Amino acid sequence: MKVGIPRALLFYQFFPMWTTFFSELGAKVIVSPNTTKQIKAEAVRIAPDEDCYSTKLYFGHVMAIKDKVDYLFIPRFGSSHKTNVGCPKFIGLAEVLQSMFPDLPPIIMPFYSTAKSGHGKRRLIHLIFSIGFKFTKNPFRIIKAARRAFKEQKVHYENLILDEKTLHKWEQTEYLLNNFRSPKERERPLKIALVGHSYMLNDELASLNIQKILMEHGVDFITSEQFPRTLIEKQMDKLDYNLYFEYEREILGTIMHFIESKSIDGIIHLIIFSCGPDSITGEMAARFAQRDPSIPLLQLTFDELTSETGLKTRIEAFLDLARRR
Amino acid sequence: MPITYPHFGSLTYLLEIFLNELGRYDTVKPNKPSRKTAIIGSRHSPEFICTPFKIVLGTFIESIEAGAYELAMGGFHAHCRFGYYWPVLKMILEDLGYDFRFIILDHLNPALFLRVLKDEVSDNLKLSQILKALRIVWNKFCCIELVDKLLSKYRAVEFDKGSSELVAEKAFKLIDKEKGIRNIKNLKKKLPELFEKEVCIDTKVNLLKVAIIGEIYVVLEPSLNLDIHKRLNELGVIVDTPVSLRNYVDFEGIFNPFKKTHKQITLKKVKHYLEHSCGGDAQASIGDTILYKEKGWDGMVHLYPFTCMPEIISKSILPQISEEYNMPVLSLTLDEQTGEAGFQTRLEAFVDLLERKEESNCK
Repeated sequence: MKVGIPRALLFYQFFPMWTTFFSELGAKVIVSPNTTKQIKAEAVRIAPDEDCYSTKLYFGHVMAIKDKVDYLFIPRFGSSHKTNVGCPKFIGLAEVLQSMFPDLPPIIMPFYSTAKSGHGKRRLIHLIFSIGFKFTKNPFRIIKAARRAFKEQKVHYENLILDEKTLHKWEQTEYLLNNFRSPKERERPLKIALVGHSYMLNDELASLNIQKILMEHGVDFITSEQFPRTLIEKQMDKLDYNLYFEYEREILGTIMHFIESKSIDGIIHLIIFSCGPDSITGEMAARFAQRDPSIPLLQLTFDELTSETGLKTRIEAFLDLARRR
Repeated sequence: MPITYPHFGSLTYLLEIFLNELGRYDTVKPNKPSRKTAIIGSRHSPEFICTPFKIVLGTFIESIEAGAYELAMGGFHAHCRFGYYWPVLKMILEDLGYDFRFIILDHLNPALFLRVLKDEVSDNLKLSQILKALRIVWNKFCCIELVDKLLSKYRAVEFDKGSSELVAEKAFKLIDKEKGIRNIKNLKKKLPELFEKEVCIDTKVNLLKVAIIGEIYVVLEPSLNLDIHKRLNELGVIVDTPVSLRNYVDFEGIFNPFKKTHKQITLKKVKHYLEHSCGGDAQASIGDTILYKEKGWDGMVHLYPFTCMPEIISKSILPQISEEYNMPVLSLTLDEQTGEAGFQTRLEAFVDLLERKEESNCK
């Protein structure tokens, strides 16, 4: 049996867990290819016109694999935190797809939400078995698959997220995060924080390969994904209210930390066009940066019409500014 | 210190009454949002924030300039951006150099809600007095809602244009003046009689019935939805809306376990299409469409502010419901740029379509 997982949105967050789980169950996992121009064109054509750019791309990825698979895996993920939630689109997406395209293969759509429905371990076990029995009759195999999946996810996070010590070293320029050769050897490598949603940072076409552009310019960057969680929570505690969108905390926490520590040369914030939570964090980040203007902040909005030349010019101008400071 | 609150359709009356009951007479009444309010609001707002934010910001700026100091508004934790409103509003207003203080009411947390009312809003009242005030306000609120409902029904069938609005105005004044819970409850029974007595109606015509669903602020704020209730009434359509604060915070459901609340009924209907809550009124919009079809209504108008996250989900699912249940649904996005003429044309076209459908059904 073949399970299709679209390479968009939460896939970039949870891919080790999902792919391991299904392949351990004996299913063939088909992940849609990296976003291509065809996928983008198809996505923009069929998706609801007011969805954010990343959600639109999700539609394209579903269309790219729908004929090759027996099941589509589109989880309805509410949250995994006690109070903080994810984007509401994650919950509605599976049902919207089912409603708009009735000819899709059956969708596996587990619902999990700790913040609003109080789901915990029991719910998780229930979901694991209800999905697992679709593929195998052996309960031990399901347990083994689930164990291995969670382990993979943990290892992924451990490799991805830096600890505070490494971050400190990086801030002191004793340690480089990216392997690159500085084009002009006399210049010191710039240190930049690249902040945004995981599904924007890692999608090469959607973000117009911004990571590579930065590396070509001899910039050592840290992404908000890599940023230590403890420091994010520390920053969030400074606010007198609870920002409850989980992934926005990551973004705002990273920006606030670097504005406070002043240990880097600049921050680049990737905003997705018409993303609801981003409109709020974008505004807050801009205002925090305005109040303490020692670290330059560049906010780039991405949609299907963003041009690469324009982006390159803006990044070059921003890096020049950061170097002259 | 003078206190103010956002403009919220006819509930603005209610908030005024509520503050008076709590012993606050130093209120600054918010202006009805005008074109200017929207322009001020959107000038200082984030780029693609939903429209209610812009209107609230514009209203607050106008009220602060009129002398308000304390800004009261809701703010709760949901799947929607609403809980983020006040932190951002606070930052924007601070950067604009205004002097103010926010009072945040979170109805999902009753203990905190009462404490904020007691310590920050009220004029040194006891908890029992606050509960009493809440009870009075709740009953008055039911009356106001009833008047709204009657108004959008009678306005479609009145002989003299504008007469039912005058009666509604009078009814609001009566509600404002009435004291004591028993009197208010009596008044609630009297209101339908009042309308029946004072408005001459055309009983012969067979009118279309259209319900308005969608995001609560847009549905209830006439200056943002270009007074859609009135526009539809003038086209000869009886209008009702299931979207109300009363269905949102249903006290009867809490105190009476045998009564099925509106929310429970709609949730049951919507289970097959959108099983879990994804914030805002997304589930309610879909459930109400099915519910009103079963009640025999002719069509639905679905309103939502531009970039509203939950309503985009329901808007994407509504075509399926519309097809399965044979129920016409008109989805309209609203923001401060919405043009009056285009809006009117679309409503007229929709009503024409409904009339044709009715005729073909009769044949």
